[in-house]
Amino acid sequence: MTIDRVGGGALVLLALFTLWESRKLPLGTLQNPGPSYVPVILSLLLLGFGLVVIAMGRGSDGVASVGWGEWRHAIAILGCLAFMALALERLGYRITIFAALAFLLGVVERRGVVTTTVFAVAFSGLSFYLFATVLRVQLPRSPWGF
Amino acid sequence: MTVLRMLLVALVVLAAGAPALAQEAYPSRPITVVAPFPPGGIADLTGRPLVAALEKVLKNPVALVNRQGAAGAVGMQSVAVSKPDGYTLLVALSSISIIPEADKLFGRPPAYTVDQFAPIALLTADPTVLVVRTESPWKTAKELVEDAKKRPNQILYSSSGVYGTLHMAMELLSQAAGIKLRHVPASGGGPAVTALLGGHVEALASGPAAVLPHIKAGKLRVLAGWGAERIAALPDVPTFRELGYPEAEFYIWSGLFAPKATPAPVLAKLRDAVKQAVNEPEFKDVMAKQETPITFKQGEDFQKFFDADARRLAEGVRRVGKIETK
Amino acid sequence: MFETIQNLALGFSVALSPSVLMYAFVGCLVGTLVGVLPGVGPLAGISLLLPATFGLNATNAIVMLAGIYYGAMYGGSTTSILMRIPGEAASVMTCIDGYAMARKGRAGAALAIAAVGSYVAGTISVVALMFLAPPLATFALRFGPPEYFALLLLGLLVLAYMSGGSMAKALAMAAFGLLLGMVGIDQMTGYFRFAYGIVELGDGIGVVPVAVGLFGVAEILISAGQKTPQEIVQPKFRELLPSKTEWRESVMPTARGTVLGFLIGVIPGSAHIISSFVSYALERKLSKTPEQFGKGAVAGVAGPESANNAATSGAFVPMLALGVPSGPIPAVMLAAMMVHGISPGPMLINQQPQLFWGFIASMYIGNVMLLILNLPMVGLFVNVLRVPYPLLYPAILAFSVLGVYAVNGSVVDVWIMFAMGAVGFVLRKLQFETAPVVLGVVLAPMIEMALRQSLAMSDGRYAIFFSRPIATTLLAVGAVLVILALRPLVMRTLDWRARLALVEKGENL
Repeated sequence: MTIDRVGGGALVLLALFTLWESRKLPLGTLQNPGPSYVPVILSLLLLGFGLVVIAMGRGSDGVASVGWGEWRHAIAILGCLAFMALALERLGYRITIFAALAFLLGVVERRGVVTTTVFAVAFSGLSFYLFATVLRVQLPRSPWGF
Repeated sequence: MTVLRMLLVALVVLAAGAPALAQEAYPSRPITVVAPFPPGGIADLTGRPLVAALEKVLKNPVALVNRQGAAGAVGMQSVAVSKPDGYTLLVALSSISIIPEADKLFGRPPAYTVDQFAPIALLTADPTVLVVRTESPWKTAKELVEDAKKRPNQILYSSSGVYGTLHMAMELLSQAAGIKLRHVPASGGGPAVTALLGGHVEALASGPAAVLPHIKAGKLRVLAGWGAERIAALPDVPTFRELGYPEAEFYIWSGLFAPKATPAPVLAKLRDAVKQAVNEPEFKDVMAKQETPITFKQGEDFQKFFDADARRLAEGVRRVGKIETK
Repeated sequence: MFETIQNLALGFSVALSPSVLMYAFVGCLVGTLVGVLPGVGPLAGISLLLPATFGLNATNAIVMLAGIYYGAMYGGSTTSILMRIPGEAASVMTCIDGYAMARKGRAGAALAIAAVGSYVAGTISVVALMFLAPPLATFALRFGPPEYFALLLLGLLVLAYMSGGSMAKALAMAAFGLLLGMVGIDQMTGYFRFAYGIVELGDGIGVVPVAVGLFGVAEILISAGQKTPQEIVQPKFRELLPSKTEWRESVMPTARGTVLGFLIGVIPGSAHIISSFVSYALERKLSKTPEQFGKGAVAGVAGPESANNAATSGAFVPMLALGVPSGPIPAVMLAAMMVHGISPGPMLINQQPQLFWGFIASMYIGNVMLLILNLPMVGLFVNVLRVPYPLLYPAILAFSVLGVYAVNGSVVDVWIMFAMGAVGFVLRKLQFETAPVVLGVVLAPMIEMALRQSLAMSDGRYAIFFSRPIATTLLAVGAVLVILALRPLVMRTLDWRARLALVEKGENL
């Protein structure tokens, strides 16, 4: 299980998926390509390259040897990011960013309560002020107007 | 007894006063007007001056926000499903009628439907004009049509995108005159004009504002207009109606809309405000500088115009059908 | 010639008036601030601040917008170098070598080279703009769909020179990126492709969320969990500025980047983003130490940064000379002009000389201002690196969300960034290069559109690509590049045959 084989394999699967999805769209001809013409060509190219990568992949590093130690941290950060995407328009910018920063600093990085709160409040407040109020960037407000 | 009576009186008073309480004065919060196109487009050129004028009339902050995507569908959909409280409005172009038809054509659930909106007012209604380069051999629209009949599918024209306003305008002409032209879509109004200037296509249906500078500089020649009347800025240009093709009528119009369920008093206030706004001297000034005439219609007038336009476009889209990819 | 100098004098007199200077400064400052935000580049910057310019008179408004444009490009490089997050899509290449330099303690040097390179490129291209605008613009108009197709295909071939690792993996990543670019409305027929009912995907997967996700978020995911903190060499004060060697190494790349970027920028509709990719590939090919690229090669910062800024000025050529927008940014500037009642067009230079020449003069001044703003701040910016990473990365993440959201006001973009962040993490672990993906996402829709437009023009005949001189030339250049890239392979095969023949001869003896 080398990295090249895994990577190449994933790409091959993706190529097959897009080929499958493209069948709903008209293909057209060489003279008059339809909406799925170029995607099909690209999928075939991806398929080809993926297979080449698998074929040449015997000598590359093993999957485990690359080191996945950070995966827990990464999952936490990704989770926080997903939360931000969900909450941004529902809770408004300041609340979302405050919650996200509080989570990352307080829970994930285990900084003290004071550091976390000060940083989270300062960042969410100041960034909103600078970009939304001064520069008039449209940032969402919470349903309570805040 | 007296206590009960007092309570009853209090209740009656409250009940009478409640509607007044519940109905906070409109507007009391900033109003957002959505322009569903990238910044710098036609919606902006009309929308921004209008928003500035509305702010003055309503004495309340009004802001224009660009929400672009999918040829306008994203922004239009966002207003269609927004809270109908009068604080989210839409400045839309004639493509508002085209997109649901195109969705129907492809069998997709429509991003929105036209009856999800309540029209407030029509602001501008520029007819499109047919332009060619000055080096091209056609001096009148008739010559172009004759040539197209002799060589079907040979004359190239560009547009801002497939099923877009510029495409539909040319299609209406083709259907009315019984000719076949070849369509080379570009990705927007600007690139469409560039393609014509560079000689890569030979004709274009365009809004007058975009091509007026080039006409004045002698690079482009305008052959005819799609309006019911001649354009003020181009008085020598005949209309297709005069030339015998009355079905070739098309306007790139811009109008202000609100979600359908907006309460009637709010809509009435907005309609009044817009009526005043378009008469503001600053608004008139900016529009005059852009050489875009203000065509203001409201109520029944607008509804009739809108319905007729929507019918024409729906018919046009249906006749274009799906682009052939044998 | 003399007339141009006279006009320039007029322009400077306009541009040096206190109010115009002030607006230029405000524009540069605001642009830098906005540009530092990950993903928010010049286009977003100008669009966001366009309303603020409505109350001003035309010259002030245009000067301020131009300041924002340049400022955003300068600010974007700062984020790329310090945090490996592209400040805008065009700074993706700067992320690679710029950040590597920062890791080695040469952050100050990288920032300075980027700033100076941008300044030189900006100034030289403004000069070129002044003298060459009308003839260049006419030439640029001759680029139609077949020419774009050939040019963009060349841009893709650049990939062959961009990567240091396995060619197959890089090409696979390019194919992946190209496929991602296929999502959205097919502009030739109106079909929705791979959009699964999400209207916001109609315009495709934006390059900004992809770039910020693949580079910025992925970087955070990889670095945040490291048990031992990253080795970032802290520079001493006198090491802040580039050494003599580094300056020398940056001269030719800057020069080449300027010319390349300007030419690419002049062509209407071409992606100015590709100027930095092409410059990187060119520098790598011409370098005597190509293995340095990716580990902190000065040329890898100087070239792309200069190309970027030169493309910026180049983009104004068609706009000013012909009134034709060569991309979304000039389109916004044109609209700004129209709202102020100035009709841009071929007559602009004659009818509004004070606007045209004032604009040009303010571009010079803007570049100088940004250099003055940025160089002393190098010391300040480098201190950002001293902030402990566990405190820094949440802030970067929040900025990234802010930036990506602000571009379109759409949460879908944030989700795309999320997805690409996860994908980028996995790709980095599996040792795939991610830059080709960004290039693919940018180029795919344009190449496809150009191809199908060309076929629409010629009614299906492929001969159109060979009947037009510019397209044919570009395709020929591309063919040569492909042959050159394949030569090592061919040589190895021939070599193998020769060795086999020798062995057989030896056996027969």
